[in-house]
Amino acid sequence: MKKMNWTKKLLAGLLAGALAVGVTACGSSDSGDSDSSNSGSSSSSDTFTFGCDYFSEYIDPSVNVNAAWSLVRFGVGETLFAFDEDAVAQENLCDEATTEDYITWTLHIRDGITFSNGKELTASAVVACWEMMYEKEAAGGSSTLSQYLDGPTFTADDDTNTITVVCQDVTTNLKGILAYPYFAVIDLDSYEEGVVDSVIGTGPYVLDSYVEATSKTFVRNETYWNGEVPYSGYTAIYMSDSSTKAMAIQSGDVDVVENVTTASDLETLKSDDAYTVKSTAGGRLANTYFNFSGQLSNETLRQAIQYAIDDETMCSVTVGGIYTAGAGVLPSSMDYGADQLTDPYEYDLDKAVEILDEAGIVDTDGDGIREIDGENISLTYLTFESRQLQTFAEAVSTVLNSIGIGVDYQVLSYDKILEMQTDGDFDMVSSNAVIVPTGNPDTFLGNFYSGNSSSYGYYSNAEYDACYEELITSTDEARKAELYVEMQQILIDDAATIVHGYYNSSITYNNSVITGVEMYPLDYTWITTDWAPVN
Amino acid sequence: MKRLSAFVKKNPSFTVFLILALCIVAVAVLAPVLATHDPYEAVLANAVQAPSSEHLFGTDKLSRDLFSRVIYGTRTSLSAALCLVCIIMVLGTVLGIVAGYFGGAVDAVIMRISDMMVSFPGMVLAIAIAGILGASMINAVIAIAAVSWTKYARLSRSLVLKIRNRDYVAAAQVTGSKTGYILYRYMLPNALPTIIITGATDIGSMMLEIAALSFLGFGAQSPTAEWGLMLNEGRAYMTAAPWLMIFPGLAIFITVVVFNLLGDSLRDVLDPKS
Repeated sequence: MKKMNWTKKLLAGLLAGALAVGVTACGSSDSGDSDSSNSGSSSSSDTFTFGCDYFSEYIDPSVNVNAAWSLVRFGVGETLFAFDEDAVAQENLCDEATTEDYITWTLHIRDGITFSNGKELTASAVVACWEMMYEKEAAGGSSTLSQYLDGPTFTADDDTNTITVVCQDVTTNLKGILAYPYFAVIDLDSYEEGVVDSVIGTGPYVLDSYVEATSKTFVRNETYWNGEVPYSGYTAIYMSDSSTKAMAIQSGDVDVVENVTTASDLETLKSDDAYTVKSTAGGRLANTYFNFSGQLSNETLRQAIQYAIDDETMCSVTVGGIYTAGAGVLPSSMDYGADQLTDPYEYDLDKAVEILDEAGIVDTDGDGIREIDGENISLTYLTFESRQLQTFAEAVSTVLNSIGIGVDYQVLSYDKILEMQTDGDFDMVSSNAVIVPTGNPDTFLGNFYSGNSSSYGYYSNAEYDACYEELITSTDEARKAELYVEMQQILIDDAATIVHGYYNSSITYNNSVITGVEMYPLDYTWITTDWAPVN
Repeated sequence: MKRLSAFVKKNPSFTVFLILALCIVAVAVLAPVLATHDPYEAVLANAVQAPSSEHLFGTDKLSRDLFSRVIYGTRTSLSAALCLVCIIMVLGTVLGIVAGYFGGAVDAVIMRISDMMVSFPGMVLAIAIAGILGASMINAVIAIAAVSWTKYARLSRSLVLKIRNRDYVAAAQVTGSKTGYILYRYMLPNALPTIIITGATDIGSMMLEIAALSFLGFGAQSPTAEWGLMLNEGRAYMTAAPWLMIFPGLAIFITVVVFNLLGDSLRDVLDPKS
């Protein structure tokens, strides 16, 4: 018995020792972390770290839209034109663009530009890249350039370093279209399909290495054409969770993060002098499409929904101000006549109940849900986790259920939602899209054109269709401005979609480490040579 | 009354934890009476308010009263945990008894399936199953049940094996008792006390697993008042509005502790050695 006790004691002692060692080890690790955080940054002054969402492993513009955006956002690739802080396309790789009829355009490639591998940027290199992109699209690729510029012909003249672009139709916005990341230029001689780091552009940084779905490391482009590149390189670390981003910058693990979307985290960062949060009312709209082939074909029901939703409170309180509320589908921060619109369905919950009651849409069986033509209102609301869309959907569902409009909201993957949306298998579906992707909203407004609207709920209005047909052929900017207002007003009057608000893209950086960080309204641009060390 | 008094005196800890567990059940049953607000009512302008006399636990991001949601959450979490424990107890025990009694191929098949399930990390497999089935409370219960029944199967099998070759079982067979009767009359009663004790101690851990799946988005879906889901909803406000995590977390903690201690004390009550 005595021996047993000794054995037990020995075992207990060993276990206690192991535990103590473990705790000590954890303690050491913690103290190391805290030292690191005290320095305020994990990077040296010659490099920086950037926390961002994981959009794509690739930076090859032919892979898909996210890869194309990543190419430009990470500062590897550039476009012939680039959007400035007013969302106007300005000359970039191209220094002169001329046209007489808006069908044939002549673009001059700026002299003295090289790819990061030292190869000269010529007109034929640009054309070869674009033709590769169109060929891949024709072969079933995901990067769909033709949605912005359908069937153009490109002719390169290397002697004059010009490209002649012949469009199929009048194209007044070619500069804006060519500023879209699909048209970023990469060197095809270095390019190997499927090889992530074979993509060579003209931007200030070059992809050096990557860890799949984890991080990418970039180094300075030593031959960059547009001034000095302040950093020798940087590391982009993928982090999708908004709170993780906020904690990463607070702990010093990263120096810059994009789009912290949780209201409380954003508020904490804004109130801390150590960080600057730059946000801009961008070209993104959060809205909910209605399916007009189901119960939402009932105009009174749609109007009641519009009355019931308090967009101002949802934008300012529920999602903590990361959206700006508005009535029209085009951002109020841009010049599309938001001040000329009138909203007949401003928030009035009592009015929503009143018009439903008056229209006979009432709950007759006492189950708490109103009926239309004897059937309970049962709306399937599809949403996904992106930029607080889920919170909007949850809030809308809660409010509508409270007045007897039955809503079943489902959080699905974006791919699943696209599939169901295309099949018309929804009543309401959340969307968050850049509506001025090429500097004007014509393509987005086409979502409500009866010829295109099958994927967006089958909305149809002859007056709207006529306006749209005029819009896409008009070269008169004043008339187009009128049409933007008219079309938005038609959509408002028809209660055609729930406009939640316009997304305020944001970028947050550590003041003691980095300066020059800006957020552009069309957020294809993230990392530029303006980003520089504080000292 | 004297017997009850004697029982309480003999088993004070069991009595205390039983009363506490009954209190939790009472909270679930009387939720409409105890809740101060409709747990699903949202007045959006009052979002994320700190605890006050109007809202005892504060409000969440949609301005719903957190106290009422925690109270109603008792219904969801408790009923799901009890259902889950019942399912795995019945399923595991039946399979274990059958495997132990019949032996041979039946035993091999059931126990190899059980071994397969045990060879995966339980939570990871449950997440995979819930991910395939789709996110819902029912699917979360199915997913956890699919990975948790093995414990009961192994336990009941070993208990059956202990008595499988006893003389009274052989006598029952010789006298023409039907197999079903033997399983019900002799095998099940032998396994039942141990199974019940295991089940009682499992209520807390099953509650944690359901809350974990809901926290990860594979269980209860919004706007359901469920503690794991409420923890997840409060996660984004962890620093600015910690009460959104503290109160659902406390509810889980208290309930799990009470049911774990109840299970332990029940073991003391039923343990023949004591």
